Amino acid sequence: MDFFIQLLTNPVGFYNQHELLIAQIGINAILAIAIFVTFYSGQLTLANAGFMAIGAYTTVIMSLYLPTPLPLNMLVGALLAGLVSVLVGLPVLRLRGVFLAIATIGFVEALRLGVILNVPITGEGQGLHNPMADPLGGIVPILISLPILAYLVWRLTKSRLGQAWSAIREDELAASSNGINVPLYKMIAFIISAVLAGYAGALETHINFFVDPTEYGIGRTIQILTFAVVGGTTNVFGPIVGAVFLTALPEIVRQFAAYRDVVNGVILILVIIFRPQGIVGRGGLAIIRPRWWTRWRARERPAAAH
Amino acid sequence: MSALLQLTDVRRHFGGVHAVDGVSLEIEEGTIFGLIGPNGAGKTTLVNVVTGYIRSQGGSILLTPPPRAGEGRVGAVELARRPPHAIAGLGIGRTFQTLRLYRNLTAIENVLIGMHTRRRDDTLRQMLPLRPLMRLDDRRLTEARELLQSVGLNPDRHGDRPAATLSYGDQRRVEVARALALKPKLLILDEPAAGMNPAEKDRVRDLIQQLNEGGLTVLLIDHDMRLVMGVCKRIAVLNFGRKIADGSPASVSDDPAVVTAYLGSDASKTSSHVPGSEEMDLAATSKPAVSAEPASALLDVRDLEVAYGAIKAVRGVSFGVGKGEIVALIGANGAGKSTILNTLSGVLRPHAGSARFGDLDLATAAPDQIVRAGLAQVPEGREILARLTVRENMELGAWARRDRGAAHREIDDLMKQFPILGQRHNLPAGQLSGGEQQILAIARGLLAHPRLLLLDEPSLGLAPQMVDTVFDVIQRIHNEGVTILLVEQNALRALEIADRAYVVETGRILLSGTGAALRRNPEVQKAYLGG
Repeated sequence: MDFFIQLLTNPVGFYNQHELLIAQIGINAILAIAIFVTFYSGQLTLANAGFMAIGAYTTVIMSLYLPTPLPLNMLVGALLAGLVSVLVGLPVLRLRGVFLAIATIGFVEALRLGVILNVPITGEGQGLHNPMADPLGGIVPILISLPILAYLVWRLTKSRLGQAWSAIREDELAASSNGINVPLYKMIAFIISAVLAGYAGALETHINFFVDPTEYGIGRTIQILTFAVVGGTTNVFGPIVGAVFLTALPEIVRQFAAYRDVVNGVILILVIIFRPQGIVGRGGLAIIRPRWWTRWRARERPAAAH
Repeated sequence: MSALLQLTDVRRHFGGVHAVDGVSLEIEEGTIFGLIGPNGAGKTTLVNVVTGYIRSQGGSILLTPPPRAGEGRVGAVELARRPPHAIAGLGIGRTFQTLRLYRNLTAIENVLIGMHTRRRDDTLRQMLPLRPLMRLDDRRLTEARELLQSVGLNPDRHGDRPAATLSYGDQRRVEVARALALKPKLLILDEPAAGMNPAEKDRVRDLIQQLNEGGLTVLLIDHDMRLVMGVCKRIAVLNFGRKIADGSPASVSDDPAVVTAYLGSDASKTSSHVPGSEEMDLAATSKPAVSAEPASALLDVRDLEVAYGAIKAVRGVSFGVGKGEIVALIGANGAGKSTILNTLSGVLRPHAGSARFGDLDLATAAPDQIVRAGLAQVPEGREILARLTVRENMELGAWARRDRGAAHREIDDLMKQFPILGQRHNLPAGQLSGGEQQILAIARGLLAHPRLLLLDEPSLGLAPQMVDTVFDVIQRIHNEGVTILLVEQNALRALEIADRAYVVETGRILLSGTGAALRRNPEVQKAYLGG
């Protein structure tokens, strides 16, 4: 409760006290946008933790060995993630549904266990120390990027490209009968998603002194997935709301901090049962009303009329 | 007039099945071309080959786009081996046999997506949503609304509703509007009137005619002969993947090969090589005359109505089956025959009306109760488990029985009785031919000790010799005292063994009578071919 009281009565104090949390919310929201793009095109890809790792490691390695400015390092990290996504996407995007999910998880783990832990330049299991870390300065680009990216992706869903994604999500066969090049548009979504995830990874290094390979495993993948599931994927704001909510949650319910994963799990189950379309549905933010509630209301109304 | 689409010797097989076996067609510009044929003739496969969903394995498909004003004549384009979206981009719009709308998107969004190929990429423009830049969007929206109007939908009432919430007929219309949004040179309609009532079918016919008058070339596939015969200028008939006739509606409906393909052929023509079949024919003709209605009804169906959501498949059907009879329900594809059987076996629930089997109310009884009461169904498509052996399939048929020992003895007996199965008892059932699988399915049905056996399309997709064998088996089971209700498309064969038969059309019973009487009745042919 204190959390909200402070947010309302003393926003400046709140900001100063929770800067790292706000930065983390921003990064998770960008990751949520990344997974939204693939969801919107009907693909259940879970490769984002891997692309994040590529963005993060590229940025830090460039900072360590090259005199280039940090924004350029981040940009290269994001673009490299996009480049890798083409190579990964070519074989993997032929798969659908749960098979695609498993193949992309395979990519994440292969990257982490096969590449990061075995190539000396990544510091192997030790991770890398980040010379450019600046937790307080790093929050600024995050807070600027988030609304811009959210806006761009929102507009993207309204464009010809976005409509093609909708069509593919709803029915691939029908989409190709409308002249939509299904493999191409799926690939575009996959690349955009990878670049966004790579960018989020690069931003995250800015606020952390350390890049740790254990950050980019299955746990992260599942966390990003829950943003989308809890928030809903009918529009870009759903996953963002999911990310904000789930990232802030441990702070809100501090007294349950020890049961953080339990609370997350319970919320996930409740959302899937009572609001499968996520917190944000087609008509914007929705109040969660279980089905028995509407039925009960329908029975009450004629009684009240008398 | 020149050919817009020219198919030459197009081939496609799946394993050993020649789904499309050397078909050549020419569709002229500005015409309405009908493609008909019995179930499994290869019509939809052919459409899928033309639109790129299935690769052709031979032959050529040439599209010659009509010259546009100010352009020279463009050369013919080979469609074979192009992906579906490229073929759509060349101007071939299509609808699907089973509706494939973007269900969660609104009707207008469905149509807007249909404009994909005509629309320049606007990703960057969308990033700056300024009023003057949005004018293009408005123009597209107006066009989408006009398209909905042109197929007979009210854009104000239906436009903003998710497609899945529209009525079935309206969904079909949205699908046509979506295909039209491509500005197609050729529109392929795959069974646009499937599941519609006569009034709705009339509206579909009007729509097709109206589109054609606007200069659109249409390729129409449908089972409803009245629709196809009424609207098409030229018709090609497929059977077993081959074109058996091609010409004007009148010439096609009189073609003896077409009549045979639809009604099946007389056993006297095809079954001479089956030993013992003459004997059988004698038995059939010496049967005593049977009255039109049975004296003691084992099965009694009254005013049965069954619906799938908004689609009424069965609209008030009454009939009976007496003990010891073979009764056939015949009629064209989509008439509602299988729906009736599935309702009797408890898989579907009736909307209205009653169905009684002895003292059991079939409208409310659970499927397992129905089977235990002695009503067993051999479903269409046989539902054989392909990886299990013949014997394992039989054992599954006896799964629910308590008397395992007796069931095993019965399986052994059936294996002896049907040597086709006995000789192959250790073979995976998937390796049996279609006819052998059918016999396996029937034998499996017998394990339930049925008093009444429902057979759904036992001859579906079988070669003529195999059809004879299967009908031979049906006759034999009947002679052993099992009452049979048979659903068949192969009308003449069914009427030959049936005591009585009912002709079903669009969910209603059109005619009834003894098998022999119906065989001579010209109305039966009309029900199939639309006369």
